[in-house]
Amino acid sequence: MTIFHSMNTTASALTANRLRMDVISSNMANAETTRGKLVNGEWEPYRRKSVVLQAQEGNSFASHLNAATAGNSATGNGVKVTKIAEDTETPFEMVYDPENPDANADGYVQMPNVDPLREMVDLMSATRSYEANVTVLNASKSMLMKTLEIGK
Amino acid sequence: MASVNLPAVSSTLPLTNTSATATKATGSEVQKSFSSFLKESINNVNKAQNESDVLTNKLAKGEDVDLSQVMITSQKASVMMSATLEFRNKAVEAYQEMMRMSI
Repeated sequence: MTIFHSMNTTASALTANRLRMDVISSNMANAETTRGKLVNGEWEPYRRKSVVLQAQEGNSFASHLNAATAGNSATGNGVKVTKIAEDTETPFEMVYDPENPDANADGYVQMPNVDPLREMVDLMSATRSYEANVTVLNASKSMLMKTLEIGK
Repeated sequence: MASVNLPAVSSTLPLTNTSATATKATGSEVQKSFSSFLKESINNVNKAQNESDVLTNKLAKGEDVDLSQVMITSQKASVMMSATLEFRNKAVEAYQEMMRMSI
């Protein structure tokens, strides 16, 4: 555990939130995409994606040794995105549009299960979370700079 | 709070004294170990600066690097540089204090 441990932790959170933002923008961009994936020769609409966040465990020998000698492994090592999961729970939206090339025999088109409102809320959450982590980083830097002022 | 902390501080003081007399390092040895320590620290700072430089270059070239990573690396380098500066100031201050001593 170095003096930059908190900065490294914050860095992992910033990276994770960037990825979250990337996934959200992909969802927003594909909100109307009827041809997301080819399944058995038929086009399936785009499926909403979301990230799975997991607390990062230090897997290196050094981190295990540090945890064992310090007696507390309570200080985490940040966060990481373990996978980008597809939403298979929410059903596709059926829209009546007979002129669409992807319409079925009844004239209905399967639209992606992306809800723009929900994506906007997720976007705000990701942005705020990013900002919060930047604040943490600034705080830890100003703490270090204050430490250098000891004895002045 | 202060009354609780004071005994703890005074109890550590003799400890450091005994350890200093036990090793009995000569002046030149102390100087040598200090200089190697200083060299190592400055090398570390240099490494951090280089790392920051490499990442900044990568970003400028449009390679796949995280902007946050670049900023954080540069901040780390900046903090390390400030710390080094502070140590140097302290050392110079001590030297000047010595030189001002009247014999």
